Amino acid sequence: MNVVELENVKKYYQLGQTRVEALRGVSLSIEQGEFLTIAGPSGSGKTTMLNMFGCIDIPTEGTVRIAGTETEKMTDKELTRYRRTKIGFIFQSFNLIPVLNVYENIEFPLLLQKHLSKEERHERVMQAILEVGLENRIKNKSAELSGGQRQRVAIARALVGRPLIVLADEPTANLDSETGKRIIELMRTINENDKTTFIFSTHDAHIMKAAKRVVHILDGQIVDESSAVEV
Amino acid sequence: MLILKLALRTLLRRKARMALIGVLVLFGTFLVIFGGTFSQSAAKASKDSIIHNFTGDFIVYSERSKDLPSPFAFNTPLPILKNPEKLGAALKAIPEVEAFALYAQNYSIVQVDREGKKIELPFIFYAVQPDPYRSVFSNIKVKEGSYFGLDNGQGPNQGILISTYQNEQYQKNYGVTLRPGESVTLLGITEGGVNTVRSTMLGIFEPLHYKSVFDYINFMDSATYSNLYNYTGVQGLPSSFNTALTAASGDEGSIFQLANDSAVGNIDLSTLKTQALSGFTMVAVKLKDHSRLEAVMKELGNMKDLEIKVARWDVASGFYAQISKALQLFIFIATALIFLVVILIFMNTLIINVVERTSEIGTMRAIGAEKSFIRRMFLLETLILNLSAALVAMVLTGILFITQGQRGIPLPETVSQFLIGGGPLPLSLSAGPFVLALVIVFVVSVLATVYPVRVATAITPLKAMSDR
Repeated sequence: MNVVELENVKKYYQLGQTRVEALRGVSLSIEQGEFLTIAGPSGSGKTTMLNMFGCIDIPTEGTVRIAGTETEKMTDKELTRYRRTKIGFIFQSFNLIPVLNVYENIEFPLLLQKHLSKEERHERVMQAILEVGLENRIKNKSAELSGGQRQRVAIARALVGRPLIVLADEPTANLDSETGKRIIELMRTINENDKTTFIFSTHDAHIMKAAKRVVHILDGQIVDESSAVEV
Repeated sequence: MLILKLALRTLLRRKARMALIGVLVLFGTFLVIFGGTFSQSAAKASKDSIIHNFTGDFIVYSERSKDLPSPFAFNTPLPILKNPEKLGAALKAIPEVEAFALYAQNYSIVQVDREGKKIELPFIFYAVQPDPYRSVFSNIKVKEGSYFGLDNGQGPNQGILISTYQNEQYQKNYGVTLRPGESVTLLGITEGGVNTVRSTMLGIFEPLHYKSVFDYINFMDSATYSNLYNYTGVQGLPSSFNTALTAASGDEGSIFQLANDSAVGNIDLSTLKTQALSGFTMVAVKLKDHSRLEAVMKELGNMKDLEIKVARWDVASGFYAQISKALQLFIFIATALIFLVVILIFMNTLIINVVERTSEIGTMRAIGAEKSFIRRMFLLETLILNLSAALVAMVLTGILFITQGQRGIPLPETVSQFLIGGGPLPLSLSAGPFVLALVIVFVVSVLATVYPVRVATAITPLKAMSDR
């Protein structure tokens, strides 16, 4: 089953007098449980594509379907609700909420969902914390954590809502190579265990190696696709 | 709960900046409470002072007057009240009236002999009925001599009282000091020429309030005043004249026919005696309950046969009441300006906060927080900070008022004289300024967050994604 479908997606930005063509007719389907990397140099359109998957940007032309729903017809409120329930985000700069501790940061998306009971929230948060191995850091604020630990918190926060897709924008860019490898391994394990779809944007060779599928993008167009074996 | 937790922790995290804002709000709140209480107290003290020193609750004056009554209108004396006895009876019949005093203001010359030389001294005065005047006003204290002989049980005596300051000025400018008990000659200028009346200097007084006014105003009893200005009439007509006059039908012909009536037409003029008339121009009326002011004024105004007009204390006091109103306006404008500055500083700080928290806000939006969540978060942060600062200010101001309230607020003497007649300003404590301060802080907080929140909610998740 396709969780993400892009059909001839174009995205243009106006920068002063210049029209920037970030995506120029991209079509792509991503199935449930994939561990996919979008690779390409800076400015190639990776992040724009990720934004389309994450319902935080809509195409100028073409169609984006997340779990069968076209996003360009949705209102801001509907997109927000969709992100809250269907998508998990992992940011390059971790983007933890500085005033909250590890437990609270992970609990945050669940609190926004409102319908979950306190017990259910606690169970899910603890499960996510155990999954990323941060059970000894529950009360720590993000400033008291290493880069790797912060990214683990971000992963747990992305997973705790049991999303359809986890989007990671260059998740290892701010980590040393050893920590980056461990983070990728962690996400790979979660992907295999839970069948959660992971989509990365990266130019990190380790991530590309770990990916089951790599989509190469250049100047807003997909130029190549390769399977894990080929990589 | 989540928003509250975020708001409280964010405030703690940015405590230095927030403390600065808190101090600003605290100061602003203090100003609102203090300014409100000050202007309220000044208004009350000013009103009480004017009522107890100048005008009573209202002033009754002649219907023929083209000018408003004013206790300071010495240059343009008002027309004389036509029938003060009838007016007095009408006032006595109104149960709300506590006391009233008829008086007039005028000026004359006091002439004294010094070493065979006649020295003329200018004399500005209130002509009063000593006892009623004292029952309405308590604005002087006699230092030498007596208050028309009333305070030593001999009065009421006829004569004049002068202020200590006036006596000093006489000494300074004319080399003359008046002493209680000495005889003086009063010179009054009338349409028929200059009248002279022998009188007595009864006492020297010190103003208790409005020194800047009562230093220059002296007192004369109403009988002396009447003599001085020829306010005289016939003391008593034969009863046959009155009987015939009452019997006349009232038309002009019947009245002229009375001239042929021997009982009326042949009056022996040598038997008639003159009677001093008052010459009063104003009546200060003091009420038992000030809240009945409008009703009593209306009731009196409806008595057309009295041929009078009425003026409230604030109208009659002229610019003295305006000073208090101007002060209130000044405090209002000053407070509004201060709060405008607070709003701008606060708004600016909030915008800096928003810019610094772009990533945080974008992240929240990316992981599913709606715009309303961001809006509520900022509003709550602002309200917690500002209302806490306002509450602290309220407690501190309350303590200050309780400890200092008895003593009153010291004012520069000149300001105090003009505003409340002198002395420290007694504080009139009420919940009004406190409630007002809380409302203002709330409104200011909400207004100050409108633009920053708009900026914050315009941050898209894209910002968080692209934030490096």
